[in-house]
Amino acid sequence: MNKPVRKIMVYVDGSEESIIAAQYGICFAKSMGAEFFVLYVVNTRALADLVSARIFLEAEEEEYKKDLDLDADRYLNHVSQLAAKVGVDVNLLRASGSISVEIKNATKKHEVDLLIIGELSKTLSRRDELYNETERAMRSVNCSVLIVKDEERVLELYNRLI
Amino acid sequence: MAIVDLIATNVIRVPLKSNTKTEVIRELIEVLDKAGKIEDAESVFKAVIARENMGSTGLEKGIAVPHAKTEKVKKLTLAIGISSVGIDFDSLDGEPSKLFFLLLAQPSQSGPHIEALAEIARITRSQSFCRLLINAKAPEEVIDLFRDE
Repeated sequence: MNKPVRKIMVYVDGSEESIIAAQYGICFAKSMGAEFFVLYVVNTRALADLVSARIFLEAEEEEYKKDLDLDADRYLNHVSQLAAKVGVDVNLLRASGSISVEIKNATKKHEVDLLIIGELSKTLSRRDELYNETERAMRSVNCSVLIVKDEERVLELYNRLI
Repeated sequence: MAIVDLIATNVIRVPLKSNTKTEVIRELIEVLDKAGKIEDAESVFKAVIARENMGSTGLEKGIAVPHAKTEKVKKLTLAIGISSVGIDFDSLDGEPSKLFFLLLAQPSQSGPHIEALAEIARITRSQSFCRLLINAKAPEEVIDLFRDE
């Protein structure tokens, strides 16, 4: 019988929730023997929106773009180290643009069958449904989606593998 | 992260007591200080003022979004202030600002910082929602508006 999950992708954005999701993804990939991908999206779409809304100056857009590039290196490297500690190989992916679009593109390109994301807001407003990029990605990808909750349990699972 | 996850009654000041741009920034930082969200109010104040000196974050229609990166916050932090009279914030349209979003983030948290600012940018596009916020009389009312919107 084919494995139900062969390729897992975790989306990380630097938030604590996304790092916990990555740790769960590592545990899941190890137990399933699945290929593991981690994606960071440099959100250039939001940067452009902020300049357009005049919240950012153009110089600020450049500065934050550099920060995001550094964050991408930092968090991809961090997840890579977390995976290495428990003997899981990881494929590091980075993209630029709109988060929801790039997540969808990456799941399609790499034929991911399970997308893992961090815990979403407990309070859902109508605006979140329309605009939250991770929510939008969750709704638009073609593969199954797993939302990681219960940080303590995830850390316990991960630490057991070390 | 959704804006609604960043706000609680102790980070919302309605109405603001300040009358000037510098005062309102200081007042919102004091709100965050009292709420235990920042470590060094003076350092945070300097970071926000340094950003304002590059160009005002006073937008149109009575909205201002002062923001800064600083090591003096543990995580992404937002304060909301509403002024009933309006404050000169060197805004783009020259109108006094009434609705203030003060956002602070760790330098290493650019992703969530930018997403939160982008959400605020989207909020500012809805004139009707901003009007409701500006007319709010209490912090609880502001939170309800974000939850119900």
